[in-house]
Amino acid sequence: MTRVTLRKVVKKFGNVYAARDVELDITRGELFTLLGPSGCGKTTTLRIIAGFEYPDSGQVFFDGEDVTYAKPYERGTAMVFQNYALWPHMSVFDNVAYGLKVRKLPKEEIRKKVLEVLDLVGLRGLENRYPLQLSGGQQQRVALARALVIEPRVLLLDEPLSNLDARLRVRMREEIKKIQKTLNITTIYVTHDQEEAMSISDRVAVMNQGKILQVGTPQDIYFRPKNTFVATFIGKSTLLQGRIVKKDADKILVDIGGGTRIAGKLASDSEINEGDEAILVVKPEDFLIEPPREPHNVLEGLVEFSMFLGSFTQLRISIANQNLKVFVDPKKEVKPGSKFVVYVRVDDVLVFPRISEEGAVETA
Amino acid sequence: MRGSLRHLDSVLALMIVFSLALFFMFLILPLVDMISLPFTFTIERLVSGARTGYSLIELFSDPKLFRTYSTTEPVRVAQLGTATLVNFVGWNFGVIPNTLIIASLVTLNTTILGLIVAFIMARYEFRGKLLMRVIAYMPLLMTPFVNAYVIKKLFSFDGLFSYVMNTVLGLPFKINVDGMFGVILTQSMAFWPIVYLNIYSSMMMIDPSLEEQAENLGAKGFKLFRSVTLPLSLPGLAAGAAVVFIFSMEDLGGPIAYGFYDVLSYSIYSNIKAAQNIGEVGAYVGALSIILLALALTIFFGIKKYVSLRQYAMLSRGGRWVPRARKPGVVGSLVIYLVVLPVMIFTAMPQIGVFITAFSERWSRAYPEGFTLEHFAGILTNKDVQTGLTNSLKYAVMATALITVLSLSSAYVAARSRLHTLNEIIDMISTSPLAIPGLAIASGYIITFTSWPFRGTLLDPLSAYGPWLLVVLAYTVRRSPFATRVIYAGLQQIHVAYEEAAMNLGASRLRTLATVVIPLLGLNVLSGALLAFVYSVAESSVSVTVGAVKTEQKPLTAVMLDFLTSGRLVGLQLAAAMAVLIVVTQLLIIFVTNVFLKQRYAFIGV
Repeated sequence: MTRVTLRKVVKKFGNVYAARDVELDITRGELFTLLGPSGCGKTTTLRIIAGFEYPDSGQVFFDGEDVTYAKPYERGTAMVFQNYALWPHMSVFDNVAYGLKVRKLPKEEIRKKVLEVLDLVGLRGLENRYPLQLSGGQQQRVALARALVIEPRVLLLDEPLSNLDARLRVRMREEIKKIQKTLNITTIYVTHDQEEAMSISDRVAVMNQGKILQVGTPQDIYFRPKNTFVATFIGKSTLLQGRIVKKDADKILVDIGGGTRIAGKLASDSEINEGDEAILVVKPEDFLIEPPREPHNVLEGLVEFSMFLGSFTQLRISIANQNLKVFVDPKKEVKPGSKFVVYVRVDDVLVFPRISEEGAVETA
Repeated sequence: MRGSLRHLDSVLALMIVFSLALFFMFLILPLVDMISLPFTFTIERLVSGARTGYSLIELFSDPKLFRTYSTTEPVRVAQLGTATLVNFVGWNFGVIPNTLIIASLVTLNTTILGLIVAFIMARYEFRGKLLMRVIAYMPLLMTPFVNAYVIKKLFSFDGLFSYVMNTVLGLPFKINVDGMFGVILTQSMAFWPIVYLNIYSSMMMIDPSLEEQAENLGAKGFKLFRSVTLPLSLPGLAAGAAVVFIFSMEDLGGPIAYGFYDVLSYSIYSNIKAAQNIGEVGAYVGALSIILLALALTIFFGIKKYVSLRQYAMLSRGGRWVPRARKPGVVGSLVIYLVVLPVMIFTAMPQIGVFITAFSERWSRAYPEGFTLEHFAGILTNKDVQTGLTNSLKYAVMATALITVLSLSSAYVAARSRLHTLNEIIDMISTSPLAIPGLAIASGYIITFTSWPFRGTLLDPLSAYGPWLLVVLAYTVRRSPFATRVIYAGLQQIHVAYEEAAMNLGASRLRTLATVVIPLLGLNVLSGALLAFVYSVAESSVSVTVGAVKTEQKPLTAVMLDFLTSGRLVGLQLAAAMAVLIVVTQLLIIFVTNVFLKQRYAFIGV
């Protein structure tokens, strides 16, 4: 169990920032996820922790020890690569035993440990196979076993499930979480899949363009996004543009054009004044088709488009020249072109000031 | 830069230092030394007016090097008994124009033939295609010097061709090819497959949909070829033609066989030979070598640039990639079977002839006669041959060991180090020996290593130690690009994550190399080493110059040249038998690399 700290880490490739003043404090035994779109710098940050890249400035600490420029083989981290990187010329046993052989453990102990860890990942009996004789899921387990067997200070997982099919992905992430909790290893997990991040992590850091935009528990990130990028990246939320008409202590009234006014709640840590431009964020599942008891808005628009997705139907509703993304009961029949009324609680409408904050997304 | 330096570890640093040091000592230093020599004399001459050494000024006023007139008539007709003898001799404008004329005409001939054969092979499906493919490889079998002698015999006034025309067909003609034309003929026959193979691989990389699109828009036949196929094959054509031009300039076999001495290669060779007696080599050799080197490097880098700008043929991906091949029509079939195939068989005749000669009792008339194994017995008992054979094997084994380490180092650094400028430098230096004429290296070596501070050391070829070490190093430098290219290609197939995974688990760079990289590269290293070995055995430029200064250290190719030029009885047959040994080794290695190791580039030969 190791505590990993990144302090003001900066890494540039040419003119592009892969890490921009990255500050992280990952506590012992935590499963911490770096989440962001491709190219946001999450993998680079992971590779800096592994020692495959060195930062242009800033420091990396393991339990307070500065390892910024330590070689990869001096760090005691273990990484599971996106493509697994199982050596094709070695059997499953030799792949898993590699790290132990490097550490010059006695033969008997190596054997014992390898079989133990293969048990843990459910691959006992396949130790004489070669990687190419295994399925994708089995290869994934070998890669995990190879990393776990050395009892690393820090376990690093770089999009480990992205090459698996959807069902296997769900099963593997449950297993990874279970194993991680059993062994209690500090684990850093990189993914671009927000659902995966939500389901597996103790804490999540959302990254974009090399910057950490928000760090928090999955609930924090989901319910209390700090900016519009996090809000849209996590919740597939609808964004609406408008102007502040009235600001009260408990709610803010925003004109989104065409005489339509929506009441919402100021997002945490934001400041905003009457007359300012604002962006409203609403999650698609927060639109209701029956009026709730709490204070709410009533919105009437035109159904532009309806798409049946199984467990729900997604609608696009046009209102004041802007679009709402709404999830409704799939059994409810909705005709495109018809009028449609939705309700949304005041507390479910987040109001952000429209500023050009780093990494924020403008509405389309 | 500072950030990249952090990725260096001692093993990587050692690899960089080793490759750079070896190439610096045994490629760059001798060449720079050689280049500077005539300049030094020129400056001395200009400053003091002293007449020391050979300066560049003389180079341009020497009638042996430049003439505005030819001393020979290209075609002469004479009466020989009842027949008319047509002598194809060619011109002689002096060393430098001759070299350029020969190289240009050889490049032109080989390009035309190479283009036609490549097009037929890439776009037509017909009976006997496999046979044609095999025949096309035959001129690439390495029969140093001997093939030139065989061609000369075939085309002399009492050779096979005159015999067939005059005696068999009863025509009142005999022909005799000699001088410059002989050299051009020999080289064209030997080098055309290089152009063919390069164009062929270019054509196979053209996305079939590009041609289909053009056809779809109405282009067909020659219009399609000229507007789409040819432009997209140009990179291969240019690369092949450039290699042929350079090979032609440094070829010694043709000029020696035909006694056509007024070319750069022979002038350098004979001056180095002469230097053995006086113990040092003059600036004259340096001056000639500079011209050879300058021409070769200009072409090499020009082509490299051109090719890199035009690598667009393989841009598109996806879809069906079945190269287009169709059955030829009547005219096409006639051209293939009656024109192209006979020409190809004709170009394979020297190699066939070498085999026949090696097993024949004598070749005093139009064709070889009698069957005997005596020459093989002869070379196995002949002391000179035995010495040459053992020497060549020794040198080649030592060079191969060095090449393996060198090409692993330079390919690994070029593929993996994060010091990008350095990667490019190492990549450039390690492939440049392909373009640097062996004779330029030979004269550079003699200039550098016979003088201070190397005089009298193990590196001095004229010292009591003899030239063996220098020959090994020359083989190493000259033949390493073959292995480097194969290993580099292999490294590009190995994902970096394999190495990162090992280092992540605690393995040092050395351990990662030993347990992950080299096992995964295994076949590439092995086939690179085998290629380097066979090309080392067949090396001629350095072997017959630097290698020949001490009798008991002569390599096989130098012994072969002695047998051919000494006028001894059955010298040709004995040399042919030695060539057969080399060819059999080559075939064996090609078989192993192609069949067992599944490597395709073993034969490209450039």
